[in-house]
Amino acid sequence: MSGYGSPAAGVVAQAAPLARQATVWAGSHQAPLLDAARLALARDLQLAFRKRGQLVQPLAFFAMVTMLFPLAISPELARLREIAPGVLWAGALLASLLALEFLFRDDAYDGTLEQYALSGQSLTWLIFAKTAAHWLLTGLPLALMAPLAALSLGVSDAAVPGIVASVAVGSVALSLIGSIGAALTLGIKRSGALLSLLTLPLSLPVLIFGARATQLAISGGPLLAPLELLAALAVLGVTLAPLAAAAAVRISLE
Amino acid sequence: MTWTWFHRLGSPPYVYALAARLTPWFGWPAALLIIGGLWGGLVLAPPDYQQGDGFRIIYVHAPSAWMSLMVYTTMAVAAAVGLIWRIKVAHAVAASCAPIGASFTFAALVTGALWGEPMWGTYWEWDPRLTSELILLFLYLGYMGLRAGLEDTQRADRASAVLAVVGVVNVPIIHYSVTWWNSLHQAPSVMRLAKPTMAASMLVPLLLMLLGFTLFFGAVLLVRLRGEVLNRERSASWIREIVNA
Amino acid sequence: MSQFLEMGGYAAFVWPAYAVTLGAIVLNIVWARRALARSREEARRRLAMRGEGA
Repeated sequence: MSGYGSPAAGVVAQAAPLARQATVWAGSHQAPLLDAARLALARDLQLAFRKRGQLVQPLAFFAMVTMLFPLAISPELARLREIAPGVLWAGALLASLLALEFLFRDDAYDGTLEQYALSGQSLTWLIFAKTAAHWLLTGLPLALMAPLAALSLGVSDAAVPGIVASVAVGSVALSLIGSIGAALTLGIKRSGALLSLLTLPLSLPVLIFGARATQLAISGGPLLAPLELLAALAVLGVTLAPLAAAAAVRISLE
Repeated sequence: MTWTWFHRLGSPPYVYALAARLTPWFGWPAALLIIGGLWGGLVLAPPDYQQGDGFRIIYVHAPSAWMSLMVYTTMAVAAAVGLIWRIKVAHAVAASCAPIGASFTFAALVTGALWGEPMWGTYWEWDPRLTSELILLFLYLGYMGLRAGLEDTQRADRASAVLAVVGVVNVPIIHYSVTWWNSLHQAPSVMRLAKPTMAASMLVPLLLMLLGFTLFFGAVLLVRLRGEVLNRERSASWIREIVNA
Repeated sequence: MSQFLEMGGYAAFVWPAYAVTLGAIVLNIVWARRALARSREEARRRLAMRGEGA
């Protein structure tokens, strides 16, 4: 049915007992929806923590990107402070894209994604759980790291809460939008550039409002309005993106 | 009312023959309308009192922008039809639309820049309409890139259909961005349902161009559709006659 | 005539704009016809490979 290798019961059994429980529960039609989602989330988190090296990659990438700008443009803090919102968001977006390639890849490869699709459970919810895991592993750490990068760009302490808030909320939308592109490009070799091409147009509003919110945070202005818009985009993403991603996953697995 | 004509649209050989027959009915009127519009816009219409002869760019910019939106909408509708009812011909229509839309989106952006520089002092601005039109170009390119990256035609059809449908939110954003945000771009002067605020001698060539470009889209679509229909056909019988003609 | 070509001083903007758009029109015609020809060729080759072509 697909070219992703046999539904690997062996691989699944090697994984944590939690993972085994997840697939068993996922297959049982009696399992409540939230339990299945919770187990999928826990499984993703647990598997990710086994490869701690890979976890750090997007963060390291983000650090390096934000380092590029002072070196390439100007080390003057006054100038850096001006471009800080853009640098932070460009870095966050690129780091997010980097991590998105791995959202479905391993599960598609070992057949787990197929199991998810074939189980009686709502694929939309399971994908939402996976995307939530992705955000916890990428978006949230980025939001916590962003203040460090901002400080290195000459931003004052007072801006930190606003920066964390805007990146945290914005990255939720980014993870959700990105999950659609990741699902569409499943199995395409070296899909990084295509994934970016598909995700960027849809995530530009997030970038625009996120940069605006961050800028207001830095200049001390009222950032409630763009922050609320970011939250609205995130909510829109939560309701629609997993649906589209589930449809895309089914198409990719056919 | 019989629906047979509608069902026949799902049949590849019928569509192929119909497309071949209809193409000149779109192509020649399109040529006439465009030539008429060019004549009216470049020669007959008087210079604008504010923009002089520079305003004549509207006769290529507005139709290009119209095309970029109309073609995407057509593509998204066809994609949705193909996705929901699993009709191959619908996917063929969607695939045919993309290159046409992309090229006119590019033309719209370039002609807009050429109009913006002398009139408003800048080639480009990151205002909502220009930015979302640029996003539209990337959506087209992403659509074409996704199709190119997937070898299996059926998967390519369905995956790109999801993309087209997800991206269609951009179209109303582009259209309404000039009313939602105050920015560089003009408020709509033609597309209002009330009386347009342009003089007739200037408006008529514009309408001719808009209609001409639309018919041109129809003609090009029909040509591409035939090829896309062929690409999706495996059965030999009707193809044999076509190919050896 | 020269007034027409000059476009009231805007010639450097108006004529390239028209050139780009008419270029897009021509490109679409050429591209579409080439795509159709290629599809027909592929179809012929597919038939020949299966030994069903005339």
